[in-house]
Amino acid sequence: MATISVQGQDLVVEMNGLDKLWSLKSKLTIPLAHVRGATVDPGILGEPKGIRAPGTHLPGVITAGTFHQDGEKVFWAVRDALKAVVVELADEHYTRLVVEVDDPRAVVAMVEQATSR
Amino acid sequence: MGRRRSFDVDETVEAAADLFARRAYDGVSIDDLVTRLGVHRNSLYSVFGSKRGLYLAALRRHVEQDVRPHLARAAQPEHVPAWDFLLVAAVDRAPDDPEVAGLVSSVFAEVDEATGDPRATEVLLGRWLRGRAEAVRHGAADVPTIRDAPETAPGKEI
Repeated sequence: MATISVQGQDLVVEMNGLDKLWSLKSKLTIPLAHVRGATVDPGILGEPKGIRAPGTHLPGVITAGTFHQDGEKVFWAVRDALKAVVVELADEHYTRLVVEVDDPRAVVAMVEQATSR
Repeated sequence: MGRRRSFDVDETVEAAADLFARRAYDGVSIDDLVTRLGVHRNSLYSVFGSKRGLYLAALRRHVEQDVRPHLARAAQPEHVPAWDFLLVAAVDRAPDDPEVAGLVSSVFAEVDEATGDPRATEVLLGRWLRGRAEAVRHGAADVPTIRDAPETAPGKEI
């Protein structure tokens, strides 16, 4: 589980509890100008994820860490697919973040509001 | 089902517009889009950024291709426009999305100019709304867009 918030001109993604350990990241800070959008997407967990390095992947249990696929780097931190949110980035280390949040719809609304200002 | 890595963006946007017009925003999942549009999920995100990005692209395309070229016909009596996506967007997304609201409002202003009277625009929109229900009653529920005025008996009681 992650907590996503808007702090000033940044989108801040903080891993909660042990997810820090599985994903080997505790916090990601991304300028809002580099955020292209956010989408509720439970189905993405069923997609091929590419090569994991580094991180933790126990299919059906947890997908966490950095995955490489088709030249894209995707950060994952998801246990419960129903709560997965996809955040698309530009000009960042990661092409995309796929993270589990408590309230996906609220997070998407918050990101859309913050990026369309 | 065949997923293609490279895809025709315009074709995808058109198919998305059809899906959003029939099922509204929340009724369309990324799974639906990937399956129905035959587009790779990663491509969808890298081209449009988000589901909202694709929705806005689809709505803009609909306005450019299906609405603006037919504004002149708006002034014709009995004309029922095939603007389902625009009007569904007005009901479904405009209250939640300022960008959709802005686009819908500006198109309505263009319709005012075409009809020459805001009240004529309201009659046109009302006719469209009534046509939605009439189409179902006439057994045309599967028709995604209503292109012609339904035949109604003059002076019929509601």
